[in-house]
Amino acid sequence: MRQGTEWEPKLVGFLCKWCSYAGADLAGTSRKKYPANIRIIKVPCSGRVDPLFILKALRLGFDGVLVSGCHPGECHYQTGNYRARRRVAITKKFLEYVGIEPQRVQASWVSASEGGKFTEVVAEVTKGLKEIGPNQLFSQERQGDGTKAT
Amino acid sequence: MEQRLRNEAKALLEQGKVDWIIGFESGSLKFATTPLITKDKNDADRLVINPFMVNNLANFLTEVKGRVGIVAKGCDSRSIVSLMQDNKVAREDVVILGVPCRGIIDLSKVERLVGKERDELDDITREGDKVAIKVDGEKKEFLATEALFDNCLACEFPTPQEYDILLGEPSTSVVNKPAAQEKIEKLKEMTPEQRWEFWKNEFSRCIRCYACRNVCPACFCQRCFVEETEPQWVLPVPRWQDNLIFQIVRNIHVAGRCTDCGECERVCPVNIPLRSLTKEMYDLVDELFHYKAGMDKEAAPLLIAYEYAEAEDLFR
Amino acid sequence: MSSKKKINKKDIGKLLSRWSQQFTVLAPSMESGVATMAEWDGKDTSFLDWYRNTVIPPKANFFPPMEEMFSFQKDREGYHIELPLVNEHKQLIFGIRPCDAKALAILDMTFEEAYEDPYYLAKRNSAVLVGLGCTNPYDSCFCTSLGISPAESTDVDLMLTDIGDQFLIEEVTDKGKELIAKTSGLKEATETDEARAKEAKETSHNKVTRKINTEGIEDKLLACFDDEDYWEKIAAKCISCGICTFLCPTCYCFDINDELVKQQGARFRSWDSCAFPLYTKMPMENPRLEKWRRVRQRVCHKFEFYPMTFNVIACTGCGRCIRLCPVNWDITRVLESLPVKV
Repeated sequence: MRQGTEWEPKLVGFLCKWCSYAGADLAGTSRKKYPANIRIIKVPCSGRVDPLFILKALRLGFDGVLVSGCHPGECHYQTGNYRARRRVAITKKFLEYVGIEPQRVQASWVSASEGGKFTEVVAEVTKGLKEIGPNQLFSQERQGDGTKAT
Repeated sequence: MEQRLRNEAKALLEQGKVDWIIGFESGSLKFATTPLITKDKNDADRLVINPFMVNNLANFLTEVKGRVGIVAKGCDSRSIVSLMQDNKVAREDVVILGVPCRGIIDLSKVERLVGKERDELDDITREGDKVAIKVDGEKKEFLATEALFDNCLACEFPTPQEYDILLGEPSTSVVNKPAAQEKIEKLKEMTPEQRWEFWKNEFSRCIRCYACRNVCPACFCQRCFVEETEPQWVLPVPRWQDNLIFQIVRNIHVAGRCTDCGECERVCPVNIPLRSLTKEMYDLVDELFHYKAGMDKEAAPLLIAYEYAEAEDLFR
Repeated sequence: MSSKKKINKKDIGKLLSRWSQQFTVLAPSMESGVATMAEWDGKDTSFLDWYRNTVIPPKANFFPPMEEMFSFQKDREGYHIELPLVNEHKQLIFGIRPCDAKALAILDMTFEEAYEDPYYLAKRNSAVLVGLGCTNPYDSCFCTSLGISPAESTDVDLMLTDIGDQFLIEEVTDKGKELIAKTSGLKEATETDEARAKEAKETSHNKVTRKINTEGIEDKLLACFDDEDYWEKIAAKCISCGICTFLCPTCYCFDINDELVKQQGARFRSWDSCAFPLYTKMPMENPRLEKWRRVRQRVCHKFEFYPMTFNVIACTGCGRCIRLCPVNWDITRVLESLPVKV
């Protein structure tokens, strides 16, 4: 980090290709501004997101994860987002219990026509991440020997 | 009850109603039981029912081919039903020999109560709501709630929910929910940082023997994500970071299948309080989706089912 | 002919403090209910009251569950490798049991004779082992069936025997003799002390009640090696976890993994287990896909293959695999039930 520059969080977004990814696209083509903090990964459906992806992103040092899909009732595959909803809900709650700040795992419904909502979501999530600071969950000492012995 | 079990098991094998019997027999150590998995009707006489039947035998259901007669406590029966919900076993291939359970004795708790290890004790007996421990010729009595596993103290369904033969009258469990919940409540009082620190510390002891996973009937993946190499999600190296991710994701993957049988915590050789994770997930699932694992063999599994409106407050 | 010393139990703290100046002293330590050999904290000797044996075997102090073999950085010129710092501090393990000391001697055959393992040997060659005889073996212990006494050892440098309020100290190796020569504050043992020690050793020897018959064991195993039905029956309840192998003081299998993140990374080695279905999946397929083959492997490796190669059974009867098994799978029962009589 260069001196004088503000720390910028890194956010990974798993966006469903039918709705949220198209929404992000629309935000772009409409020349709407949203924070450049998000790195987008296109997934076929929000239901594709295994909670493991979220953990892996945090393990790699991303400051936050956003899972976004079609609004309930509008899934291209009928029920993928309903399944995602259960999965993301338990993941969010469970990670909070384990001690991961709730701001780090976010979820939203953004349709292909909601370019505006997409920019708002990214802005809000980024703001939340700036408030809690960098993800240092896994960054403590590199060695974690299985025994206490030296 | 024990004699009836032996008779029933023998009859099932003799009449060809089942190919296998899965139950418990006496183990090779004091107060130990060990799974008995057999095709031989003569082995039926070795079956036992006692307050030391720790294993969740549902774990072995998917390992044998053919029809199975299986001994099940309340939690085990739910694990069996859960396997049916996931189409891992068919109802008609299983004869459930239900045992109304009065709680299983936690030998680690007994050791702490009397300050001696299990092989140094003369006898442990369950008498009503008491547990009597004989040590150095002297008999000491404790409340059963002091000596049973935490998960037994929180048990909602000690009598099997699904069975073909019920061995005895339905039982009521000896419950002490505050005691069963104590460790979890303590964690909830901490700040997120303290909780993370707590788990980091606990998982720095983990040696990745995978006993927690392998003993769990809900963990039935052919290949676990921790063992994937393309991509390599976590290293098979016991660093606390990888250990913790393994356990967090395992918990999420078995959500809605975990029946709080407590086996993962019992078998951990380095005493990681795993039930403080699994039970929280068990409660979360109930709170968010009013779902309890293994209660209805016709119901869709938790992570397949959905309601039109639920958990919306967690989404933007 | 070696002169014998003794020390008051209450002076053990002082002795360990003295040794701490020269060594990293490891002693039995209980953390979260798990006994390990861990760095001594400088004062606590309460382990003398509770210590029977550790859950994590002392092999972990030489061959840890995981260790970094080297780290590397990648740039335009290629990889730059950095070897880990060698801990210059010598380990002194206080209180190792004869079974576990013997296990280290067995591990030496693999890590020193079969090939030279620099990571293991760096720690092993500089270490001093101070043995402590058992007074209260577990009901799962069966060391005496393998020619090991719970209270005597030739695989340690010094051997301590409980003789009431004191420990008798015997010098076993030159290394031990040297250490004693440099250690002040020890008293000369009397003939009465030695007699007491002899009695104590016999008593603890007799306390080991679990027995196996190792006579002709190799032939017996060979004879029933192909008895698939037998092994299937024996293996049925095994859950293929790693407890018996990881916590076995003589099991030495390891896996090697690289991690590369953002141009830098490290190579790790960590314990592996023949009980795992994915064992050896990395270079090839696991030839032991069925569980019974893996169970057979564990039994035969210890009681047939290791003796064939090194002329010693790779089991010391420490009983950990019996005590800690999630399903009470008991190797002594298996060895006693082999379907052949030779």
